[in-house]
Amino acid sequence: MAARRKRRTAASKAQAEFVSEAEEILERMRNDFGLLAESLVGSGEADPEIVNSLFRSAHSLKGLSGMFGQEAMSELAHHLEDILDRLRMGRATLDRRALGLFDESVTLSAAALEKVGDEDAAEGLAETIADLIGRIEQWNDAPEASRGEGPDVDLPDSILRALTEYEEHRLHANVAQGRGIYLVDATFEIAAFEDGLQEIQGAIREVGEVLSTLPSPSGAPGSQIRFSLLTAADLPPDTLRERLELAPDAMTIARLPEGLAPESASADAPDVSDQPARDASAPAAPDETLKSISDTVRVDIRKLDELMNLVGELAIQRSALSQIANRLAQDPATSRVGQDLVKVQKTLERKLQELQGSVLDVRMVPLRQVFDKLTRVVRRLRLDQEKEVRLEIRGADTELDKLIVEELVDPLMHVVRNAFDHAIEPVAEREAAGKPAEGCIQVVASQRGNDVLISVSDDGRGIDVEKVRRRAIEVGLVSEETELGRSDILDLIFHPGLSTREEVTETSGRGVGMDVVRSNIGALGGLVDVKSEEGRGSTITIMLPITLAIIRALIVGVGPHRFAVPLNSIRETLLLDPDQLQRTEGRELMNLRGDALPLRRLDDEFRLGLEEPDKAYVVVLGVGDARLGLIVDRLEGQQDTVIKPIQGPVATVRGVAGATELGDGGAVLVLDVSALVEDVVRKGELRE
Amino acid sequence: MKRILIVEDSGTMRSLIASTLEELGEPVKIDEAENGFEALRLLPRNAYDLILTDINMPDINGLELVSFVKRDERYAGIPLVIVSTEGSERDRDKGLELGADAYMVKPFDPDGMRTLVIDLLGRGARSGDEG
Repeated sequence: MAARRKRRTAASKAQAEFVSEAEEILERMRNDFGLLAESLVGSGEADPEIVNSLFRSAHSLKGLSGMFGQEAMSELAHHLEDILDRLRMGRATLDRRALGLFDESVTLSAAALEKVGDEDAAEGLAETIADLIGRIEQWNDAPEASRGEGPDVDLPDSILRALTEYEEHRLHANVAQGRGIYLVDATFEIAAFEDGLQEIQGAIREVGEVLSTLPSPSGAPGSQIRFSLLTAADLPPDTLRERLELAPDAMTIARLPEGLAPESASADAPDVSDQPARDASAPAAPDETLKSISDTVRVDIRKLDELMNLVGELAIQRSALSQIANRLAQDPATSRVGQDLVKVQKTLERKLQELQGSVLDVRMVPLRQVFDKLTRVVRRLRLDQEKEVRLEIRGADTELDKLIVEELVDPLMHVVRNAFDHAIEPVAEREAAGKPAEGCIQVVASQRGNDVLISVSDDGRGIDVEKVRRRAIEVGLVSEETELGRSDILDLIFHPGLSTREEVTETSGRGVGMDVVRSNIGALGGLVDVKSEEGRGSTITIMLPITLAIIRALIVGVGPHRFAVPLNSIRETLLLDPDQLQRTEGRELMNLRGDALPLRRLDDEFRLGLEEPDKAYVVVLGVGDARLGLIVDRLEGQQDTVIKPIQGPVATVRGVAGATELGDGGAVLVLDVSALVEDVVRKGELRE
Repeated sequence: MKRILIVEDSGTMRSLIASTLEELGEPVKIDEAENGFEALRLLPRNAYDLILTDINMPDINGLELVSFVKRDERYAGIPLVIVSTEGSERDRDKGLELGADAYMVKPFDPDGMRTLVIDLLGRGARSGDEG
């Protein structure tokens, strides 16, 4: 019974894995189809590498869905694979109809994927799929372009024997185009061949095509590996050798480029009809011009920034307009025209929000590109260190502003590396602790409202809280007497004085430079938080706004001054009840539903020297689990703000993130909430 | 303990093959390579008793890997199975010509795969005893 249940869980886990991988494949295909359409518009021909990548995707999807009994999906992928195979083998020409069929196939496969596990719903799709397959078959029925015999190329048997059918086709196609065929040899240390190999492949791709990369025994014992790169290029041998910085004996000529050949190279080149796309004399595909297949454009992100800035400025003008409208509406003399203006202003607000949404949407990119990098790094680390660590990634489709995604790479990489290097124990230690030999690092991303949460969890040794505390006392960060809760101590790892010390990092299981991680994330308007259980592992959570371009803020006032507080770090606002106020050791606290909430007067924080107001509000700020109540005189409503950096002495004031303009034309400072909360945490006022 | 290398770019497929082989009836150690490059790095580090590889992979493909393994005297004796989704028959035949010991089509039957693997592991052990 238990065994059956276990098997069933394993089966459903495998199915979930299948669905997520199939989704990834479909996403990749969508991308590739977009690129394909673009490359057609750009150069008028289908990029063979993209077509081949699409073929591989369809092929994988066919195998995977077949393995999971998804017959209809597998059949559809099979037909799609057929089209792509004909295209990549030069047996058919890409046309608008084929692009349409691709598009439908991916959409339908995605729909079928959603229905996996729901047989009735899947049956409903079967007919639509069968219809599409019928149309694909019609397309595939078109007569094949004839293929000539392969040309003579002077290549060693070992190379020819290992070429796939597709690689052979590319070889012939390149010969037909009159390109030279060369064999480039490169030898590397086996422990680190990848970078060198990719470098030379990249250099070849700049001037031609890598047809095949064949690893060969080096001849030398042990640590080296040799690669033979079958290369096609328009360049004469000497130029190519120079471009690739090759030693004279590292390249052999299999066939000279056309025109350079000692004998007439065109004589044994196959019929041009083999290459309809490339050759101008080949008949154009009937009536299907490639002019408008793609409807995508590439845009420089800076142009989007400008656009976003303009939208932000418009939003500010809009709130100015709103204030005037309200004033007019309240004045009996102008109330009618005022009310009309209020209405117009409301419509304007809605349209502006839509505009803002559209511009933001364009800036969004999935986190996948960052996560792919993490996967590569962990794979490399795993091989270098011989540690058994699995990286699990979820939520790679979560989208963030492109600028944030780019800035996120380093801090996230740092956190994952730390988990790998310091948190996950060596196999022997894990086994002794009764843990599975293979450690696990999980990276999970999800969207919460206007924020994105990314957590990095490991099942390693966790942070030794006592060691961190002792170290903090040693460096004078806290005193022996300071009573610190567990989360306060954990938070100390983000302190510069502590986290850059190697000795702590080695023993505490968390590494160097967590302070840098926090400040980098802070600069993006985000927050970092840590949780850890000794012996069980740690979780670092990063919370980021979806975009930096526009931030919704609460405007608060103290005396004549006003400040903007980013809304994403506000947990709630309360009217301050003086009876609940407690003073201990010169600090103010209040009771918030049973928890002590440390308080700060904005007035004191910036030494404004104002009188205590009759009525005050508490703005409860939150960074991770830490809370801080900010006492202000007034809440003046919310606004969309575009945060601008400030220069001069104010820029260095702690607690200030920047400045912004308000609807009434006034400029206010934007509070840096994470710095304010951090100061309170450091002073040990927060308890668990 | 027998050690097996699975070379396959699909994570789901790798887990499926690995879990199939975990039920061989004898304990085996399974290493997974996500692409040909990773396989090339793993090969000199561990002594493998069996290699299973896909054909359609980015960077270096299955045929190139088979050719490498079978031309290097250190690895030529390791039984090698191509596990690939039905595709080009010519590629499959080429794989066998290059020295692959068997060919399995995906979707594969788990029992069939186990029978084949047990057979190949036994064969490898015998030739090892003789040598």
